[in-house]
Amino acid sequence: MDLRIRKVVRAAAAVVLGASATVVWLACDAGEAAPALAAVPANLPVVARPPAHQPPTGLASDAHLDKTPPRQTVGLDLVRNGWTYNCMECHKLLPARWHYDRPLSEHQDIQLDHGNNRFCLNCHHATNRNAFVDYDGREIAEADVVLLCAKCHGTIHRDWQASVHGRVNGFWDSRLGVKTRLRCIQCHDPHSPRFRAMKPLPPMKYPPRGAYPPAKGSPQQDAKLAPAGQEAGARQAGNAS
Amino acid sequence: MNSDPQNEVSPQTLERVYQPVTRRTFLKGTAAAVAGLAGLGAALSPLLALERGELTLEALLQKRYRELKPEELRRILKALEDQCEREYGVRPAVHDRKARAGVEFGYALNLTRCIGCRKCAYGCLKENNQSRDAADDLEMSYIRVLELDKGGMNLETSTLYYDPPTVPQEGKFYMPVQCQQCRQPPCTKVCPVRATWQEETDGIVVVDYNWCIGCRYCMAACPYDARRFNYKKPALPPAEINPNQDYLSNRLRYKGVVEKCTFCLQRSRAGKYPACLEVCPTGARIFGDLRDPKSEIRYVLDHKRVYILKEEVGTLPRFYYFFDK
Repeated sequence: MDLRIRKVVRAAAAVVLGASATVVWLACDAGEAAPALAAVPANLPVVARPPAHQPPTGLASDAHLDKTPPRQTVGLDLVRNGWTYNCMECHKLLPARWHYDRPLSEHQDIQLDHGNNRFCLNCHHATNRNAFVDYDGREIAEADVVLLCAKCHGTIHRDWQASVHGRVNGFWDSRLGVKTRLRCIQCHDPHSPRFRAMKPLPPMKYPPRGAYPPAKGSPQQDAKLAPAGQEAGARQAGNAS
Repeated sequence: MNSDPQNEVSPQTLERVYQPVTRRTFLKGTAAAVAGLAGLGAALSPLLALERGELTLEALLQKRYRELKPEELRRILKALEDQCEREYGVRPAVHDRKARAGVEFGYALNLTRCIGCRKCAYGCLKENNQSRDAADDLEMSYIRVLELDKGGMNLETSTLYYDPPTVPQEGKFYMPVQCQQCRQPPCTKVCPVRATWQEETDGIVVVDYNWCIGCRYCMAACPYDARRFNYKKPALPPAEINPNQDYLSNRLRYKGVVEKCTFCLQRSRAGKYPACLEVCPTGARIFGDLRDPKSEIRYVLDHKRVYILKEEVGTLPRFYYFFDK
């Protein structure tokens, strides 16, 4: 009995302490941030289109071709629940810190696996979360995310500008139509940019020559292939020597 | 009157020359005539298609593609549209897009980026109206994706039938192979009827399906296994017919003709990218005008170290492979 009462009292005390601490922190924060907030315009920066939306790739006349975008983005819960995709709605209350842990549940699903980048603020701007940060601390607009990636991936950016890296659709001849180019984050998840492995479409069924490959599930399938490969390799090595 | 021994004809000789019709010779002759007529009938039996309406007299007597007058060609294109509508219930638009002067097509493929997903091979099927028994019947696709072991370029040990749960697999790389649109195409040189040729300006090797006799010499000559043969009457679900067709590329084919990749000339000559490039999820494919110094393909040739497949056979392809990393 005593134990239970003690537990309840402890929990209540923790709640009261936490709440008062939060109030104090918010008050302090509001007090501290007042000059900074005064600089921010009364209307929050408007974000026209949430990046979660994938624009259609390719031409409408090519409906018969499978032009599924390589990255299927789902967007934040906030956006799905009908909020605008405006980071500053929350982040004007949550100041930026150089930390890796994400205390709120909103961004828990983000797995940061992007080279040496360990902190949100490596890319996101400290005071305007709708923007990205340049070398010198200036803002890079969300629409110019390509310039953010180009900070590190210069050679790939150069190829992308020449339409040689990344997916292009539409017209090769600019006199006859428009060529669409995808931006970096339409294929790569910026937090984990490695291209995802895919299920390959099924192979050809009827081999035109001979009875290769053996039936699926037959025990000889691997056994047959491996020695053949080794043999060929050995032959090749023999020829080379 | 002296008898001239030179002019004297013996009765035996007379009999040999003027053979009387015996029962034996009559039966022999009749049998030979019947066999000959049967052979003639068999040889002419394809003409029955005329009666059945499957073949028009005009198509039968059609001239070579390059000798056709514009109004003749227009009639032929309309006949092809009619035929497609009659057989499949779909009215296509069969064009005859000419190569544009000053444009030469080139293709490059980034082997670092290719993950072997085979979307290009299926995209090719959807665009080019190849014969197929099922939606996943890749037999006639112009693209074969090879899986190779890293550390070598041995095509002989590559595999076509890889089917792992995910690609790319560790230690493998993938190389799609299709028509290389050679500058010295061996396939056109061996054609006994000149049904296949290289277009003079943009360099695409095309086939006139109305002129091809199906001897498959070109398939034997091609070092890249880029040509496909219609062993049977093409089977194609009417719902999957691509109505945007061209006489020299993806119009419906006949039984017994050879077909091949044309860089989707029904698209590329209209300024669009080929279908295999459109569907490539990684952007490994690069297409453009070799004569335009600012084109994407020229950027690749200028900035990347490209190589061509089977350089030693001297075909001078317009299709380049490169590694990017």
